[in-house]
Amino acid sequence: MDTFQHLLSGLTAATSLQNLGFALIGCFLGTLIGVLPGLGPAAGTAILIPLTFTLDPIGALIMLSAIYYGAMYGGTITSVLINVPGEAASVVTCFDGYQMAKQGRGGTALGIAAIGSFVGGIAATVALIVVAPPLARIALSFGPPEFFALMVLGLCLITGLAGQSLLTGLLMTVLGLLIAMVGIDPVRGAPRFTFGIPSLYDGVGFIPVVMGLFGIAEILLTVEAPYREVVKTKLTSLLPSREEWRRSFGAIARGTGVGFFLGLIPGVGAIIPTFVAYVFEKRLSKTPEQFGRGAIEGVAAPETANNAYANAAMIPLLTLGIPSSPTIAVLMGAFIINGLTPGPFLFGTVYTHKYKPRSRTKRGSSPNTILRTFE
Amino acid sequence: MRRGRLLACVCMLGIFAAALVTSLSYSLSDALGPGPGFFPFWLSLLGAALTVALLVEIARSHDVATASILPSQQAAWQAGGVLIALAAAAALLEPLGFRLTMLLFIAGLLFALGARSPSAILLTALAGSFGVFHVFFYWLKVPLPIGALGL
Repeated sequence: MDTFQHLLSGLTAATSLQNLGFALIGCFLGTLIGVLPGLGPAAGTAILIPLTFTLDPIGALIMLSAIYYGAMYGGTITSVLINVPGEAASVVTCFDGYQMAKQGRGGTALGIAAIGSFVGGIAATVALIVVAPPLARIALSFGPPEFFALMVLGLCLITGLAGQSLLTGLLMTVLGLLIAMVGIDPVRGAPRFTFGIPSLYDGVGFIPVVMGLFGIAEILLTVEAPYREVVKTKLTSLLPSREEWRRSFGAIARGTGVGFFLGLIPGVGAIIPTFVAYVFEKRLSKTPEQFGRGAIEGVAAPETANNAYANAAMIPLLTLGIPSSPTIAVLMGAFIINGLTPGPFLFGTVYTHKYKPRSRTKRGSSPNTILRTFE
Repeated sequence: MRRGRLLACVCMLGIFAAALVTSLSYSLSDALGPGPGFFPFWLSLLGAALTVALLVEIARSHDVATASILPSQQAAWQAGGVLIALAAAAALLEPLGFRLTMLLFIAGLLFALGARSPSAILLTALAGSFGVFHVFFYWLKVPLPIGALGL
C-alpha cells in the first residue's frame, strides 16, 4: 500500500504544469538528439546536463529522464525515413522501417513505433514499481559465466539475422569481433592493432562504425544513383490499419517482456534487446520472409523493447546504484550532480526528497550532506 | 553479381591475412593464460577460413543474375570524390573551423549529388554550417572548432 501512496505522491508532483513543461522540453531535445546521426543518447544527455543546473531536483530528474526517453525514440525517425539510425538502438528498426517508408507506410511505421514505445515504457514503469526489489536481486546474481552465455547468445542471434547465408553471417560476426580487438587489451594492457595512433587506444567507437556502415553507405548509394526515387511517405496516416494492429499487438507485448527483462541485467546495452525482440518475432512469425521487406512487427517489437529496456534499466540504477549502459551512467552522474544518489539510500532515505517539493539544496554539497538534509 | 562477391571476398581475405600477420607480433599466451594476440590470431584464422569457404561456395554456384554490384565508372568517380571530400572535411575542420568547412562540404556534396538550385544549395549549406554551429555552440554550449579566420 505504501508503494501506491508514494506513487500517487510522485504523480502529484510530476503532473504540475511546470514539471509537465520540463518533460515536454526534455522530450523535444531528446528527440532532436536521437534524430541527429552520430550523437547518441549518452553524448546527447551529457551535453544537455548543464541545462538542468538551474532546475530544482524534481524538475531536473524529470527533464533528464525525458531527454533519455526522447533520444531513445528520436533515432527511429531517421531509421525509418532515411535508413540512417540516429542512435545504436535504432539500427534494427532500419530493416523494416525503411522498407515500410519506401512502400508509402512511413507514417504507420513511426506511429506504431511511438505506440509501442509508449506501451513498453508505461508497462515497464508499472513493472518497475511492483517488482523492482526482487528482480534487481536476481539481476545482481549474474556473474561472468552468465555474462559469457549472454554474449554468446547475442552473437548467435546476430549470425541468425544474416538471412539466407549462414556463412556470410558468421563471417561478418568474426569481422565485427576483430574490429572490437582494436585498442588496449583489457587483461594485459597491451595495445593491439593501434599502429602507434593514440586515438585508437580506446578502440573503434560504435557510432563511427555504425555511421560508416549506414551513413556513408547511404551517401555512396545516393551518389551511385543520384536520380533514384526519393522516399515519399504519407505522414498523415500515422495510425495502423486494423490488420496492422492485429499483427502488432503480440509483437508489442513480447517486445515489452524482452526489453524489460534484459533491462534488468547491467551491461547488456540498448542494442541487444532490440535485436532479440526482432529475432524473436521473426522466429514466431508465420510469414518470416516478410521481415526485412516492411513487416510491421519488425518495427513494433524492437521499438517497444527499446523503451521497455530504457525504463527497466532504471531498476539496477535506482535500487542498487549500478548503471546498465553508458547513457544510464551519464544519468547517474546527473542525478548525483542534482543531489540524488542512486542506490539503496535513494529509496530508504530520500523518499521525501523525491516526492515533496522543497527548497533548493545548495549545489556542490556532498551526498552525505544532502542525505542529512532530508533525514 | 558473382564478380563483385569474389572481389569482396578477396578484400576480406586481405584484411584477415593482414590481421593474422599482425597478431603474430603479440604474445599468444603467457604464464597467466591467453595473451593479447590470442583472440586476434584465432579470429583472423577463423575469418580467413570462412572467407575461403565463401569463395568456394561462390565459385561453385551457378549465379546467372545479370545485376552487378560494381558501380559504373562515373558513379565510382563520384563515390571516390565524396570519400575524398569527407576526408578533406575531417582534415580541415580544425584549421578552417566548423562553419567554413561544413559550408564548403555541404555545398560541394549537394552539387555532386545533383542539386542545381543555387538558392537551395546556399540555404541548406548555411543551415548545416552556421545554423548548426549557432545552436550547438551558443545554445547548448558544445565546443565546436573555430578556425584561424575566426569562423
